[in-house]
Amino acid sequence: MPKLQRRDYYDTARDMNWAFSYVNEDEVFPEELSKSFGIKGDEWWGWDEPYKLTYREYVHNQAGKDDGIYSIRSTIARSNLYDNLDVGWKSAIKAHYGAIPVPEYFASIGEARMARFGRAAAWRNMATFGTLDECRHGQAQIYFPYCLLGKDPQFDWAHKAMHTNEWGVIAARSLFDDMFTANDAVSTAIQLTFTFETGFTNLQFLGMASDALHVGDIEFGALISSIQTDEARHSQQGEPTLRIMIQNGKKAEAQKLVDQMFWRSWKLFALLTGISMDYYTPLESRTMSFKEFMQDWICRQFMDQFKDLGMDLPWYWEKHFLPELDWVHHAYHLGVWFWRPTVWWNPDAGVSAAERDWLEQKYPGWNARFGKLWDVIADNVRAGRIGKTYPATLPIVCNCCHIPICSPSVGQAPRITSHNGRKLSFCCEVCEWVWKSQPERYDTHLSVVDRFLAGQIQPPNLEGALQYMGITPEVAGNDAEGYAWNRMASLAAE
Amino acid sequence: MTAMTAKATARKQKKTWSLWTERRLPSEYEAVTYKFHSHFRRAPAPFELSEGWSINQFYLKNREGSKFALDDWEGYRDPRAYTYRRYVEDQRDREVYCDNLIDEFERLDSYRKLSRPWLDFLGRHYLPVRFPGHAMQMSAAYVAQMAPAAFVTNTFYFQMGNEMRRVQRQAYLAKALALDNGRAELADSDAARGLWTQAPQWQGLRELIEKQLIAFDWGEAFVSRNLVVRPIFDHVFNAEIAGLAKANGDDLLSLLHDDFRNYDEAYAVENTKALVSYATGKVASHAGLLRDWIGKWAPLGERAARGLSEALATAPGADSAEALFQRTMAAQAKLVADCGL
Ligand SMILES: [Fe+2]
Ligand SMILES: [Fe+2]
Repeated sequence: MPKLQRRDYYDTARDMNWAFSYVNEDEVFPEELSKSFGIKGDEWWGWDEPYKLTYREYVHNQAGKDDGIYSIRSTIARSNLYDNLDVGWKSAIKAHYGAIPVPEYFASIGEARMARFGRAAAWRNMATFGTLDECRHGQAQIYFPYCLLGKDPQFDWAHKAMHTNEWGVIAARSLFDDMFTANDAVSTAIQLTFTFETGFTNLQFLGMASDALHVGDIEFGALISSIQTDEARHSQQGEPTLRIMIQNGKKAEAQKLVDQMFWRSWKLFALLTGISMDYYTPLESRTMSFKEFMQDWICRQFMDQFKDLGMDLPWYWEKHFLPELDWVHHAYHLGVWFWRPTVWWNPDAGVSAAERDWLEQKYPGWNARFGKLWDVIADNVRAGRIGKTYPATLPIVCNCCHIPICSPSVGQAPRITSHNGRKLSFCCEVCEWVWKSQPERYDTHLSVVDRFLAGQIQPPNLEGALQYMGITPEVAGNDAEGYAWNRMASLAAE
Repeated sequence: MTAMTAKATARKQKKTWSLWTERRLPSEYEAVTYKFHSHFRRAPAPFELSEGWSINQFYLKNREGSKFALDDWEGYRDPRAYTYRRYVEDQRDREVYCDNLIDEFERLDSYRKLSRPWLDFLGRHYLPVRFPGHAMQMSAAYVAQMAPAAFVTNTFYFQMGNEMRRVQRQAYLAKALALDNGRAELADSDAARGLWTQAPQWQGLRELIEKQLIAFDWGEAFVSRNLVVRPIFDHVFNAEIAGLAKANGDDLLSLLHDDFRNYDEAYAVENTKALVSYATGKVASHAGLLRDWIGKWAPLGERAARGLSEALATAPGADSAEALFQRTMAAQAKLVADCGL
């Protein structure tokens, strides 16, 4: 081994900052790609990463991690593990694979933006690792569903989804482009690494990994927990960036970046993780409810670390966020199941008698709020009126989160408003605030419903919409259990 | 079914992505690289935000709007067909090799055996190289994020990593030399920064590097980086420095740079040639476009090479500045010629 340790030469390997003289700093770091917030030059040079790593350690560690996950993959390929997985769980991993691998690769572009436009060499070095990490996450997470293509055509959406205008894809892309693919380096450090990766990726990558192990999906569990070890490292680019903003009197600006992106992330992960944990994961394998995961990993751990840095809770915490923990993903689930032909997985109703008991126990009042809506669906299924369990009209979609507005199911009306003469719909006050706090990002962007009304979707009916969304018959979702949950429920009732 | 046939069946991939258009099945490399840039030429704007949003406009101008355009970038292939996994495996081996090399020389107490004039030379004319080396890392990150297909992007991710690899070994050596010779200034970042920003021999390169960082058209960024800056820089700081090191009894430095040249530089060269040949194969007139860009950057490249050659000529036993300069420009010209330009 070389005699010098990392700490002996680390500073020499990361202080490559200098003041430009043949070009201007503003040209090297244009505001649109690296918003300075008025903090310039050597104010950034003290950027100090808490997690230190050299290239030689990086390739050593990462090659070892990849050896691990790919050897599990090839072992599993020789077994019938996948065939024996619960159908609801299969839906959870299909939803994950469509929404996550290619956006992870998009995150490599966001990381590369920091590797080029980050305002300190130490930061650019960390982002260099982050870029490579996210390339890994895109490739590994797409290779696994690739190997499952022979089992199920819905896995094709791991690759295809981001090329389509499926509504959930628009929602995901709108979030991810806003957060990293089309965000400036400084905002990316606050919004992607600090806000999102220290909180929400834990939820999807550790929470789902723990469920995966209970379900017996060793492959998925190993894959995503290995990925999370990279996230845990490169997410630490947020803190030093935040510190420099605070030191330079830009706490309010940083707070706004956090508040905007925390809310946007919450919405999408209530959709993705919320439904997967509380409805698609088989009852006997659920380690905690989605709300419990949120309370543990977002409300407590994440917010503690957040307050340690002198930041405040987002302004909407008590009034909007905490109440939504009780209902938003239940409403989303109902909507996704109802609109099931528009998604690339088979939604699992997850409302057998035993599951309803669990839901009522974890979310007191669930029966009164949502159970009664499922009763109507169940009656229709039992009476053979399957047609009535399908949608006949388009939902209204939120112009910020791009998720169908589900709040009427809990008695909250959509917020119809306007901006420069353009009509806008929002699911809630916070989405309206996020949009109106930075209209330059959103003002001419059309939601899928706006596109429908503008005549971009032809023919203007469900068939035309499915075609526009890229949904083909072999992929269109249907009830995961072929309505068996309902027979079970009715047997139990008798 | 026997275990063996079960294994064979399981291994055989029969289905592929619906977006894959060729009749043959893709390789694993292709399956995990093909069509990842779903935002390239997406309508009405690359990213799912307002068309007027500054980063949409930036990409429309510098990527979609670049003259370095053709219909199908998804057909480009990295000659090494690197996936992330294969890249880190190969580089792990390289880094183990470098560790072993350093270890072996440290056991012979090699840093202390270097001559004072050679150490003086390294301090003034070599060790500040980590500043432009880091800028090369930045510029690889830039081309990567702007390239129109992941097949291109990933090769620049890996080039970016390789630049970092070299910089960190140089930082290591700076520190080791400083400690063993009691010359703290050799590893002093402020001293190195002062030389990089003030000493005349570095200014040509610094002007080139700084200006290259603001070449935002993705095609021009690729050309200025990979056909002008990189061949000059790598010739001086891999080939020439290795020769001088050997002549001055610094075999460790020489062998490390041999490794950077044989693997990392070779990777960059292979991909430069392959990308140029892919692009000119699709659009013959691109040869003229690339030549024009090379011509535009050539004067800055020559000035950089001139300064570096004068610096290297001061090393004990070095050739004349003119000879060094001629070899450097010949190396750059050879790469351009090998690309068929
Ligand atoms: Fe990731
Ligand atoms: Fe990440």
